[in-house]
Amino acid sequence: MEDRENYNPNTVRLWRAYKTAKEMCMDRGYNILEDDTTLTLDQFKDKFCDENGEVQRNRLNFSAEPSEDMMRKHALPPTKHNPDPAPSCGRIWVEFNSEDNVGLKHLREYMGHLMQDNFYVGILITPKPVTGMGLRLLRSLSSTDAGPPGGIEVFVEQDLLVNITKHELVPKHVLLSREEKAQLLERYRLRETQLPRIQVTDPVAKYLGLKRGQVVKIIRKSETAGRYASYRWAI
Amino acid sequence: MSHDVVEIDPEEEVSTNAPVARPVNKRNLDTALKHARMLEIRKRIEREILDSVEILISFPSSTDADPKRPSAHDAAQFCKLVKDFQPSDFQELIEERNISGQCGYALCPRPKSKAPSTAKKQCVWTDNGPEIVDRKMLEIWCSKDCTRRALYVQAQLNQTPAWLRQGGIDDEIELMVDKAEERPQIVLPLRPKEVAPQPAKQEAPANDADDIAAAWLARDDALAALAMERGEKPGPLSRDDEDNEHLVTNTIKERVGNSEPPVAPSLARDAQSHLAIEGHVPRSDRKAAKDGDGDSENSEGEESDWDLDLS
Ligand SMILES: [Zn+2]
Repeated sequence: MEDRENYNPNTVRLWRAYKTAKEMCMDRGYNILEDDTTLTLDQFKDKFCDENGEVQRNRLNFSAEPSEDMMRKHALPPTKHNPDPAPSCGRIWVEFNSEDNVGLKHLREYMGHLMQDNFYVGILITPKPVTGMGLRLLRSLSSTDAGPPGGIEVFVEQDLLVNITKHELVPKHVLLSREEKAQLLERYRLRETQLPRIQVTDPVAKYLGLKRGQVVKIIRKSETAGRYASYRWAI
Repeated sequence: MSHDVVEIDPEEEVSTNAPVARPVNKRNLDTALKHARMLEIRKRIEREILDSVEILISFPSSTDADPKRPSAHDAAQFCKLVKDFQPSDFQELIEERNISGQCGYALCPRPKSKAPSTAKKQCVWTDNGPEIVDRKMLEIWCSKDCTRRALYVQAQLNQTPAWLRQGGIDDEIELMVDKAEERPQIVLPLRPKEVAPQPAKQEAPANDADDIAAAWLARDDALAALAMERGEKPGPLSRDDEDNEHLVTNTIKERVGNSEPPVAPSLARDAQSHLAIEGHVPRSDRKAAKDGDGDSENSEGEESDWDLDLS
């Protein structure tokens, strides 16, 4: 264990947020180097701090490609017109913003960058929460065709200091593919509206980047019942 | 989290906690429909306000615009766009403009002012002595004047969200007008009540012949001044409205003709009648007068929030 006393608290924060961001992308199915998720504070400092010991946030930005597994999970059913549709996932761009106050201006700039470089989805990590109008813009993107196809997600650094999914009390959440969701509903003769819900704003749903209409399987370990699963429909 | 394929195992214990389907009667359905419609309207208006904010971030249309005298087009569009705002939306517009370095008042093209130092908390002198404020508070406007103009608009905004407002009276937003500066440019119709203010009625018994004569005199002065300004022949004015027709415009004739003979002016006002310009006595004591008329100024409480010495 390193002696954290010798480090700038800001460096420690960003190191934690960076590792969680990498883990989050890996858990969603992107190709991420294992090494990036186990980076030590020293390695982080060598890689991202300037000569004054300040973290250069723009060096933390990264992109990632979906893995084969992820593409299968996000596959779309073939149709007559499109017998081999592209999966509903793609290249992601993760950006660490250094602005104190992120508003419409920065979100528009970020969106422009994603569109210009053909990213499918973007994650923006900010030191402070975005403005009210910024949140309104993000909400409106999901109901319009504006922005990248996978949308823009915003996380505050604070939310990524710990990886909540690693907490022992948080059961394992697994996203179902479209096919798996159809099988589930078929087997239990259910309509999706009959499933219990999970808000897309729920911390674990946010971590997994759940979209409305998707279903997650939640696997709990119980001393009496062994393995036990429930399903939730994201709204 | 690994990417194991999820199998649907029939042996597995499955809890769905599915909500129990409830019988739906007509009234529930109507309520639900009404609710859904309201939600739609709300979403639409919120989206419109967002669009308005985005337009107003890049306001005004010209970089040398004067916030005191915005172009007619900018002023009209500004008023139209903020009409549906709640005060909180207006605050957010100010915040967004500040983020891009601009003065919070959307009709001002200048950058926001810079605080004296980069310290988070700063000491400033206000009317109530020294005060500690966030640096952010000092970097909202370019000037005190813009602060007043913006708050003048914000004070008119409806607290009720636009999707809950009752139709009918269409609240129009007005911009602050500088009386002292604007007056010489606008030819105002004569307003007898300015020559002879109402309170006089209580002070002196009305219809006293002398007072009426004095009132007419004051009006004559005003009309003469007006005629002079318009380059018309100076001369005594008749009390007969028909004789006035060749001197004054129809509009003025109508206003004067239809009004009651002015009631007696108070002594204070009367003493100043020789100073009257177009029936209005310019105030030399603006500060004192300001306390008396609350019509166009912001309420004291609101103004004091921003009333910081930025100079
Ligand atoms: Zn200004």
